Amino acid sequence: MNAIEISNLNRVYRAQIGVFNRSIKEVVAVDDISFDVQAGELFGLLGPNGAGKTTTVKMLTTLLIPSQGSARVAGFDVVKQANEVRRRIGFIFGGERGLYWRLSGDDNLRYFASLYGVDPAVSKKRIPYLMELVGLQGRGNERVGGYSRGMKQRLHVARTLLHDPDILFLDEPTIGLDPVGAREFRNVILNLQSQKKTILLTTHYMFEADALSDRIAIINKGRVIALDTPSGLKGHVSDLSVVELETFGTPESVLEKLRSLPFVDALSVEDREQKQMLLVQTKRGAEAVPDVMAALDGQRIGRVIVREPTLEDAYVRLVGGQA
Amino acid sequence: MNTINKNLYLFWQGTMLSYRALFAWLRPVTYMASKILMPLAQMFFFVFLGSYASNGKNVDFYVIGNAIQITSVSGIFGVTMSVGGDRDAGTLPYLFGTPSNRFIIFFGRAFMHIIDGAIGVVIALTWGVLLMGLDLSHTNLSALGLTILVTTFSTCGLGLLMGCLSLLTANVMFVNNFVYFSLLIFSGANVEVTALPAWMQFVSNILPLTRGIAASRALAAGASFSDISPLLVSEMGIGLIYGLLGYFLFSWFETQAKQKGTLETV
Repeated sequence: MNAIEISNLNRVYRAQIGVFNRSIKEVVAVDDISFDVQAGELFGLLGPNGAGKTTTVKMLTTLLIPSQGSARVAGFDVVKQANEVRRRIGFIFGGERGLYWRLSGDDNLRYFASLYGVDPAVSKKRIPYLMELVGLQGRGNERVGGYSRGMKQRLHVARTLLHDPDILFLDEPTIGLDPVGAREFRNVILNLQSQKKTILLTTHYMFEADALSDRIAIINKGRVIALDTPSGLKGHVSDLSVVELETFGTPESVLEKLRSLPFVDALSVEDREQKQMLLVQTKRGAEAVPDVMAALDGQRIGRVIVREPTLEDAYVRLVGGQA
Repeated sequence: MNTINKNLYLFWQGTMLSYRALFAWLRPVTYMASKILMPLAQMFFFVFLGSYASNGKNVDFYVIGNAIQITSVSGIFGVTMSVGGDRDAGTLPYLFGTPSNRFIIFFGRAFMHIIDGAIGVVIALTWGVLLMGLDLSHTNLSALGLTILVTTFSTCGLGLLMGCLSLLTANVMFVNNFVYFSLLIFSGANVEVTALPAWMQFVSNILPLTRGIAASRALAAGASFSDISPLLVSEMGIGLIYGLLGYFLFSWFETQAKQKGTLETV
């Protein structure tokens, strides 16, 4: 059974430009996407910034009306039966906003429980249970303004579970969390997964998507460009190896030269404080290292590693190194 | 739990919790300064100025006018904060993502401010009696209490409309200040409405507060409840009209935000 069904969904934003010579600028945020998510599945949605992930989630959570196409969540149309959808879903958008900071954690949950029509007797029992589930037991009487970012994110999870929804939308829920907080958050997601909740997760963290997702759709420029299991997606780059080189301030002209080499399938650059990490995807494996080093002649090079490709490498290849 | 009980519970929770969550002045020092000292200072200013200008003849006129006008501190500023506060807290998507009854949420935001505003007026009138010789010995106090509640309700209706504007723009406090200070003139708090030019009298008649002040003055002069009840019914009606206009604007805002994708940009 499908918990989410998306059919030819499209969303165009229109913005008015200019004061005297007014013109309308159209931006296609989601361009004719279709996919289904099965009940109980943890479905990852990956893509670079501006790819259309959040717009998709907003349409599925009834916060945005699609320009074209249709979507059904829990069997209900997201536009025509919005309130039926809302009763059956919970959602989180990344970041710490969206809570009443002057209220305590418990009072926030009490208020949202009433907004979802949860019986007071049920919410009285459910709030302490959820606070414990997200690791906030004993902190419910404190004002949310004094919570750390991670605590606020976890309170959002508790908020979204108040009415015991079957389907959860988690839009970059671990953004801005420190590694410990992010790991605790992932444990909460795994716990929800074990409760057979359907979860649609968007994230920028590939290892997170790899570890948690049953299937992943990669979305770029508003279109779904790949949809498969994590191992299936890695199969896109199974013929490749990745040469990782630690460099320091390599100029763009040198990177272009490297990118243009015939044996280089894709090149991505990650800035890590003063260092740069060059990730060269190639079919030649370790044999490519001398030629890569030659192309970087004159550049300061630190550690060099040749490794098997990961989901991130598959993602980079699929989105054309735009991530 | 049936739908009616759920909605009553939502109203109660929404009223109490949203008041605490969104009313930014709800800290002892800020509350004292904004809700008690500033309105009283304003009242003293106009009472002494008016008394000086009229050779001490119309003290009660200015005390009652300015004491009742204090309802607009809660009605305009308080309610605006409680409706518009969701914009600052980033809670609007989560609010609009629930299946809750929008009508109840919306009017629940004003409820505590009606009580709060009425208490402010009672404090001001008490100061008027103790320090400025306001004579309420011939006043039907129950009717005056009801008048204060109705007048606070109607100014809160205007506040609900202003609160919706605060969902659309970050600069609504400029508009709020303009409306608040305009009420000092148009409501008849400091100038007899009949002494105003015709166009200003028209504006006075479509604003809340005007009839509430007139009713309070009449009660202080010894009028009976039946004498002022038409004024109260009109005052209530005006408050309802503004409140409903605010609700329709709130609903329109939600629809527009979903159609244009502006929910996160407000």
